[in-house]
Amino acid sequence: MDFLVLLIATGLVAGATYGLIAIGFALIYKATGVVNFAQGELVMLTAYIGYSLAGAFGLTFIPLLLVAVPISMAVGLVLERIFIRPMLGEPPFAIVMVTVGLAVILRGLIIVVWGSQPANFDAGIPTTVIRLGNVPFYPAQLIMIAALGLVVLAMWAFMRFSRYGIAMRAVAANETAALLTGVSVSRIHALAWVLSSGIAAIAGMLFAANFKLAPDLWFQGLKSFPAVILGGMDSIVGAAVGGIAIGLIESLSQGYIGEGMREIAGFIVIILVLMVRPYGLFGSRDIERV
Amino acid sequence: MLTLTNLQVLYDRSIQAVRDVSLTVPKGKVVALLGSNGAGKSTILKAISGVLGQEDGEVIGGDIRFEGDSLVHAAPRAIIERGLLQVPEGRALFATLTVEENLIMGGYTRSPAETREGLERVYAMFPRVKERRKQISGYLSGGEQQMVAIGRALMGRPRLLMLDEPSLGLAPQIVETIFETVLALNRDTGLTVLLVEQNAQVALKAASYGYIIENGRIVLDGPADKLAANDDVQEFYLGFAAGERKSMRDVKHYKRRKRWLS
Repeated sequence: MDFLVLLIATGLVAGATYGLIAIGFALIYKATGVVNFAQGELVMLTAYIGYSLAGAFGLTFIPLLLVAVPISMAVGLVLERIFIRPMLGEPPFAIVMVTVGLAVILRGLIIVVWGSQPANFDAGIPTTVIRLGNVPFYPAQLIMIAALGLVVLAMWAFMRFSRYGIAMRAVAANETAALLTGVSVSRIHALAWVLSSGIAAIAGMLFAANFKLAPDLWFQGLKSFPAVILGGMDSIVGAAVGGIAIGLIESLSQGYIGEGMREIAGFIVIILVLMVRPYGLFGSRDIERV
Repeated sequence: MLTLTNLQVLYDRSIQAVRDVSLTVPKGKVVALLGSNGAGKSTILKAISGVLGQEDGEVIGGDIRFEGDSLVHAAPRAIIERGLLQVPEGRALFATLTVEENLIMGGYTRSPAETREGLERVYAMFPRVKERRKQISGYLSGGEQQMVAIGRALMGRPRLLMLDEPSLGLAPQIVETIFETVLALNRDTGLTVLLVEQNAQVALKAASYGYIIENGRIVLDGPADKLAANDDVQEFYLGFAAGERKSMRDVKHYKRRKRWLS
């Protein structure tokens, strides 16, 4: 029994990471119709930026977030401006290839700037073990789960009540009609990148605080991909639920089926999902009125 | 109020959809632009709204002037802010958004207070839309969707409203309701209307002046009642046969028999 609870706890923490990263994917996909293959690299880049900021100013966690998230948003804006904006109007496949290129560039750039050695990133979070029932958690693990909840809530409210959020959904639904109501489509695309980078910063710094900061952090982006597919590409709530589900599936299959299952369980789920429900659990099927 | 002079539009740098179109929409009037599929009607509206770029289209000649200022290089948002709004062909609602969210988007260029007030006005005008305001707009019936589409445009406080085939795919009774609403707006608030239609019968009844476009060219224009009485318009757009039933041999002469093509 204890073993099961432990597996679930591990799965939840891993799942929260996947969920946070997946929300970044979903936001950009929803607004721009493009899968951003550089999302994992964006998470890594913003984590390194947070690491440098924490080192330079000795910030504790909350002040670090307040500084690092806006800076990461600015980085997202600049990346969108340089790499994505010139591609506006090109076929989505071409833009996806640009994000693949951007991913490789960022990976190399990070090694050039910060070196290839792993680093410890404490992010100003205490490391005393907290026991919930008889399950031990590190504070950073609990913060990760809480962060997922807060980000989902904030994004849900943004999409529902803010005029920019509604505009983002409108652009996703019908770009030309959005232009005809006065929405600047390119600004909405930029906004998606900005928000996605901010969320990437939260995910990246928390991941690095939980494990370590190394130039292979981008791989978490790839590992979060099953969560996006399961949740349905363009759904933020779906990305979060998908993340948690994939985290639990990985952890449980690792524990009960065997070593190594953690690496492949998520991708087995992808294949099953694509066969049974290609639009995911929460994704939108196109509305067709008969 | 709105004047097009020798407008030419090219798609993809190769296909000329609008060859040479000049037309005038005077303030406070309802003007109809008639033509069949592919004549270039929607292209003209897209050119006026500045959204040709979405389909790789480009104005390559002529001018579009609204109250004296050229709109050819204006951004879509600037055009909307001047009061030129369009109800696009086939409604083009944001299908995944609720009815109310669609309307709120219509007020995107306006202040929150103006948006709230606009919602009241649209709901007063279309009680059916108010009943359905929490529903996902993609699941509404065609007539209801058209009302939402017109409501969305009205949220932007138009001074000139452009309607792209509002009768498309709708039952005659609903078409009548929708036209009555638009004409009432024209009568009561002085809203200027540019009406693009394939359905010449309804359009010429509603408008005071009409233009007929074919293959990207204006081929005929005149006061609506004169146009409706024109033999060619009667034959080709209103479906009255001149005299007896025609045999297929006569049908072959269609093109040549249009006097305006000579």
